Amino acid sequence: MASRYPDVISLAQGIPSFDTPGCIKRRVERALKRGVVAKYSLSPGLPELRELIEISLSRQNMDYDWQNEIIVTAGSIEGITATLLAVTMPGNEVIIPDPTYTSYQEAIKLAGCEPVFMRLKEDDNWSLDIEALKKVITEKTKAILFCNPNNPTGTFFKRSDLLAMADLASKHDLYLISDEVYKDFIYDGLEYFSLAHIKELRNRVIRLFSFSKSYAMTGWRVGYLHTDDTVAREILKVHDTLVTCAPVISQYAAMGALEMGEKDLGNYRRDFLKRRDLVCSRLDELNEIFSYSRPNSAYFVFPKIINKKILDKFSLTGESISWNLAKDLLDKVQVALVPGLAFGPESEGYIRVNFGRSEEHINEAFDRMKKYFSIL
Amino acid sequence: MKTALKILLQLYLKLITRLVLFTHRPYVIAIAGSINKHFVKEEIARILKAHGSSVRVNPRSFNTEIGLPLAILNLPSGYNSYRDWLPVMAKAFTRIWQFDFPKYLVLELGTSDPGDMKYLLSLVKPQIAIITDISQRYLESFSDMDELVAEYKYLAASIPPTGRIIANIDNPRIRSLSGSSPTMTITYGTDPAADYQILSYEKTGQGQLIKVKHPNNVVTSHQINKFGRHHAYAFLTGLAISEYAAVFKEQL
Repeated sequence: MASRYPDVISLAQGIPSFDTPGCIKRRVERALKRGVVAKYSLSPGLPELRELIEISLSRQNMDYDWQNEIIVTAGSIEGITATLLAVTMPGNEVIIPDPTYTSYQEAIKLAGCEPVFMRLKEDDNWSLDIEALKKVITEKTKAILFCNPNNPTGTFFKRSDLLAMADLASKHDLYLISDEVYKDFIYDGLEYFSLAHIKELRNRVIRLFSFSKSYAMTGWRVGYLHTDDTVAREILKVHDTLVTCAPVISQYAAMGALEMGEKDLGNYRRDFLKRRDLVCSRLDELNEIFSYSRPNSAYFVFPKIINKKILDKFSLTGESISWNLAKDLLDKVQVALVPGLAFGPESEGYIRVNFGRSEEHINEAFDRMKKYFSIL
Repeated sequence: MKTALKILLQLYLKLITRLVLFTHRPYVIAIAGSINKHFVKEEIARILKAHGSSVRVNPRSFNTEIGLPLAILNLPSGYNSYRDWLPVMAKAFTRIWQFDFPKYLVLELGTSDPGDMKYLLSLVKPQIAIITDISQRYLESFSDMDELVAEYKYLAASIPPTGRIIANIDNPRIRSLSGSSPTMTITYGTDPAADYQILSYEKTGQGQLIKVKHPNNVVTSHQINKFGRHHAYAFLTGLAISEYAAVFKEQL
């Protein structure tokens, strides 16, 4: 909808403001010149890329065999879809947090399963609620799918909560599908932890990563997943059926990212941190409109609409308040945000702000919103 | 302009590297092959460090005409930035007088074009070469497999008789290399003819348990806390180096 407005400033779609780093483009140019991108790769991906991925994982204290346990995917959502189709049966339930990434619900439905929501604890910076999780596990539950850091709340889940979730998963024999596409953007000195660090969980944890966010490669559609070979073998069959292999040219780009992208990643991390602080300070100026939890990761903040005038105005139609506010902001001041409704049934009344955009765009968007709210 | 500068940079790094190697005379162990160079390199470095030796390895993919000198000199790449290359070039010069230059260099050698190996061996003179695998992985610039294999033959032939070639005998192309050098070859793999033969693998919760037959027919069991057979192969190269080091203390 936002694309219909020529002067729109979008803080909606979760894409970073940067272009793909030059070192990655040069790696791709070299592959093109060598004539190695025109053919399919092996279904799990180029051996040299998978070996690089194993090396990269090993540096993060995760041990996975590139020959049997790592699959290069066409972005993480393809990996998630292939995983769900491989590990579930139609009629199963898959638990997802509320709020969480919009496309999970559709991927779960595509696999013939039912998404079941577990509410996150807003009063504890949107942390996992283990008691809420216990209540939604049934005999039909097959997996828990979550992104960590979480989109849209910018929360990096606590190690103790993740371990408690893993205990429940072990008790009920559930898969844990951990989508970690924002794992390179964790702030405030928090230590990175993944359930894939724990060898005892390797046959129930499927961890996914994408090059999209960390290396400004959203358009290249390349990521990977890793899990125990017994599980990877089943996922590979679906992946092969869905896409044959990830785009080979993008696999070379991914190699460039792992070989040479470290410096650019560091720059992005620094810039996103600055933008996080900027967005929070701009939200503080609108403290009569929104309340929010300060994100400790990713590049999203998920403010709650608290202003009575706005709540009254947009609830009159009986439709979604967050949807109506987002639509009105787009109409009146051409600022695009995502209504909370998209992220889960209990997330109505919130709005997602993406601070992956440039400081200039963030400031301009907030200037416009400030003006909009002042005359409301 | 860019190409001319790259050639100049390459020449400069080559000159400095040769001066540094002439001055410090480290023991060089070269690792070549289509796959598994990294993990073999890490294993060899681990073994040497466990013996109390100072070791330098090439970081990431620093195994080509520019990367290898940088690895030897322990310098970062300036990649595509002229500004970033200037301090690198200045620091390179100071490496000639470095006091704590390591005793061992464990270096991956990358070959993706005909003649690459010859160029890299004009920089370093390894005493040991480990050949991990030869496959079609980097074949695109070669007319056929024979031309690719010739790169490894060149490496094998460059190892002095006092050194060793450590080769994965499970790979038929590597088996065919025997005879291309008068230097003694130590073999490893699952093939019964291997000096260090893997008798069995067993996946465990923490990695894998392997049984290995040594050249003296002694069989030992080892728990490797990594998954994948390539780690078992890397482990065997470590065993070979370790036992070679015990026999030839004065050289290693």
